[in-house]
Amino acid sequence: MKLKAKSITKGVAEGEALVSHSPISFTGGMDPDTGKIREPGHDLEGQSIAGKILVFPTGKGSTTGSWQYYAAFKRGNAPKGIINANAEGVVAVAAIITSTPMVHKLEKDPLTCIETGDFVRIDADHGMVEIEKVGR
Amino acid sequence: MKLNEQQLSMLEGEQGPGAQKAMNILLAYGDCYDAERMIPITSAHIAGNFPVLLDEGIEWLEDLGRNGTKVAVYTTKNPEMYDFEQAETLHVPTIYQVRQKRIHEALKALGVTLTYSCHHYLVGNVPRFGDHIAWASSGSQVYANSVIGARSNRDGDHVALAAAITGVIPEWGMHIRENRKADMLIDVGQLPLEKYDPADYKALGWYLGKLVGTRIPAVVNLPNDMHIEAVKGLLYTLTVTGATGLVHLAGITPEATSLESAFGGSPPDSPDIVPSQGDVDKAYLEISSSPEERIDLVIFGCPQCSIQEVQEIAGLLKGKRLHPDTQLWICTSRWVKTLCERMGLLDILDTAGARIVCDIGAADGPHLYLREKGIRVIAINSARGSYYAHNLFGMDTWFGSTQDCVRSAISGRWEGRK
Repeated sequence: MKLKAKSITKGVAEGEALVSHSPISFTGGMDPDTGKIREPGHDLEGQSIAGKILVFPTGKGSTTGSWQYYAAFKRGNAPKGIINANAEGVVAVAAIITSTPMVHKLEKDPLTCIETGDFVRIDADHGMVEIEKVGR
Repeated sequence: MKLNEQQLSMLEGEQGPGAQKAMNILLAYGDCYDAERMIPITSAHIAGNFPVLLDEGIEWLEDLGRNGTKVAVYTTKNPEMYDFEQAETLHVPTIYQVRQKRIHEALKALGVTLTYSCHHYLVGNVPRFGDHIAWASSGSQVYANSVIGARSNRDGDHVALAAAITGVIPEWGMHIRENRKADMLIDVGQLPLEKYDPADYKALGWYLGKLVGTRIPAVVNLPNDMHIEAVKGLLYTLTVTGATGLVHLAGITPEATSLESAFGGSPPDSPDIVPSQGDVDKAYLEISSSPEERIDLVIFGCPQCSIQEVQEIAGLLKGKRLHPDTQLWICTSRWVKTLCERMGLLDILDTAGARIVCDIGAADGPHLYLREKGIRVIAINSARGSYYAHNLFGMDTWFGSTQDCVRSAISGRWEGRK
């Protein structure tokens, strides 16, 4: 499936999707040493965002999240690409300072079209997302 | 977004890599909110410290300033982690001193004015009504919007720095007049406000923040002569349990000379929230988190103490001595300390065994090394400070009025509400 999207940054990334249905806070909510989500009760609690195409509704929490994300990136624990339903400033800034391809406002809701484990390709240069269902 | 010639030239890299990086950050940020253009700002304020930046963040800052990049507008800095004049006396671990010095040098290279203060609007960074600004620090942002009538979104450090370097910010949210109208009404007329202390306003703010969330409330029936410390207390706490950027305090906020002007039309027929004294009493108990009544440290200054607050504390301590097992810190800016020295307040505080610590705030930096030295239970007159000291640094906290806190410093046990 190919979907049009609005680009926040530029670049191309592909990999395995990790999908959350809850907003993510990088400050307090994610451990930069492991890339693991550590917010109690979060639907990704205990799972690492490192190397994934991270799909989630939007960001939340402290604006210092972009510093925490930058540290995670430098320690090799950031996602390869980001898809948000609707982006907000903290995640967008985290993506731009780490040159992480990021899109939002897809023509269909990414949280219903994409499941964890799908193979996803983000082309932020052309505002496109390609989704391949794996093993079905 | 439409950029003008000057902004396009920054984006193309013609004004150096720093300005290019900054413009890229602002574009990505503005795209999230469908901003159509950039608008000039008159001041910026940045916040980050080592516990937030980490080593990688320090390198990012150093890298930004490496090519001669400078801020284009007046930019001030929030408190740091320690008071460099007392680093030895207070046994601040070298690891923090080294990191903080690197941040200091990086910001100096960028041309940031190193105020190390969160009451920067009292020591020189004073916007005017209607000014567009980029202030990272949720407390002072809501203060600027609500008390001064300047316009700032809740920008993070990267955005505030990018705005400082380029001199512009994407036009969205609080920068647009239409978005600044109140959308809920709070009537505080049931509360015995004539007896209220600033701490009571903080407890009220704690209760209200949870109900307000990200909305823009208008508050009616506040006393006309509400003290500035009470105004600060209410506003700063609202951004802890809530995430509002603007509160219309009827009769105080420049855009709220009347309820009609706050709502940009007719206010609702009945208030959305009418807090009772029971709600405020309950908030007091929620803010405190300590199971133990022994107090290791009484700490004032979240936000940093104004000279008026230090005068009050010194007045309460005059001729008294602290309990031998309890410390008392007053966190403030170096300007206020200079005033204290000039006015003889330092002598009173010294005699009592209290200490003024400059360049830090009572909510963040110092707790990291205080904890390492065995400080566990703190008393504080700030609901905001109590929240961050407990949730970010694991301190056990007691929250109460300035008088409660000073009495506890003298007896060594919590003397306020429990």
